[in-house]
Amino acid sequence: MAQTTGAVHQSPAAAKQRLADNFRRRGIITAVMSGVTYGNYTAFMTLAMSVGIWVGWYGEDSGLTPFAVAFMLSALGAALTDTFSALWALLIAAWKGKLGDFGRSFKTKPGAILACAALIGGPFASTSYVVGLQQAGSIVVPISALCPAIGAILARILFKQPLTPRMALGILICLGASALIGMTSMNGTEAHPHMLTGLFFGFAAALGWGIEGCVGGYASSMIDPEVSIAIREVTNGFSNLVIMVPILALIGGADGFQIISQALCDFESIKFFIIGGFACYWGFMLWYKGNAMCGAALGMACNGMFSFWGPFFCWIWIGLVFGIDGWDMPFIAWIAALLMIIGIFTIATNPLAYFARKKGN
Amino acid sequence: MMPLNFAILKLFTDGREACPDEVIEALRPVYGGFKALNRKDVLTALMTAESNGLLEESRFDLDDGGDVRLFFRANSDGLAAINRYIR
Repeated sequence: MAQTTGAVHQSPAAAKQRLADNFRRRGIITAVMSGVTYGNYTAFMTLAMSVGIWVGWYGEDSGLTPFAVAFMLSALGAALTDTFSALWALLIAAWKGKLGDFGRSFKTKPGAILACAALIGGPFASTSYVVGLQQAGSIVVPISALCPAIGAILARILFKQPLTPRMALGILICLGASALIGMTSMNGTEAHPHMLTGLFFGFAAALGWGIEGCVGGYASSMIDPEVSIAIREVTNGFSNLVIMVPILALIGGADGFQIISQALCDFESIKFFIIGGFACYWGFMLWYKGNAMCGAALGMACNGMFSFWGPFFCWIWIGLVFGIDGWDMPFIAWIAALLMIIGIFTIATNPLAYFARKKGN
Repeated sequence: MMPLNFAILKLFTDGREACPDEVIEALRPVYGGFKALNRKDVLTALMTAESNGLLEESRFDLDDGGDVRLFFRANSDGLAAINRYIR
């Protein structure tokens, strides 16, 4: 074993423990930051869809059918954000000299799995979520918040990642906190004639996001996360903009390609989509990286705080900065945020071990 | 030529044990021009692979500068996973 000659003397075991702790801390910070940037992505996408040509589309005289307004416009908003996110991802990959690895990784087995996971978590889950909300109302929000639990269970089965009763309890606390925000922001539950269909789609969304989280995280242990996210966003941006939106437009009786070109030419909203795309890049890149560094259970629970960060940054950007009414933060969201932090700590650390250490000291 | 992170993992399929500096030296002839071929990024890639069961830590010591040096290797499960996904 090599001798210590550095200025700071430390035992190898202590130095190694410090390195491991530092890696774990970085993983948790990465996963938490994924929720923060995801909140900003939500805020800027929502802001973009509230200005310019979108005001007319969501107005009473838009000439669009209710289906086109409910589904096609939602898909278009997500598609534009994903497309700009893909451009940011390629730009950043080129700047960091990873564009070659993007092309090479796309053609490999993990790259193909990642692209499939992106399709499941992107167009499939997002559309299921919107359909679920339309059919069953706010009850779908806590159902879709099951995704960290599903991700953790799948990671346990597929990749043999740890899932102890303590971690399950933490996930349950986070799930309850997300449900609290969801139910409050959407004014409780209402009676819906297609409740069962809606619940089915809500669960499909949770399943889609759970699959993407655990598969994307595992794939990012083989593919560089900055390359992984370029694969995700290029796949999602392309499939949403070129396939999903035109199909939904066709069903809704609208001219999809005309709507897309009008949206792309609207400078007032497009600048916010560009910013939203940048936040979206970081949101998903840090999500994959966080899941890869600290496992799906902890990574997805930390990311799950986006259900707090989303309303928070909508309040900051749309409400306070741009002065649009109706974006105040409900008090319950702060309580839920505290609950989520407790949930994350429950997953990440064993409180009994902490007290045992204190006693030892 | 395979992506850099694939090459890092594939290096361990011959049963070797290596620390980040040894990985960098082994890959320098082909990947020397890659910005990500540095100690910090390679260590992160190795520790991430360890978190996902692809590699395991075999031993550690301190280098001449007093910095901890982790050595990794692929166990049989990790080896099977690497060979299944990376050809």
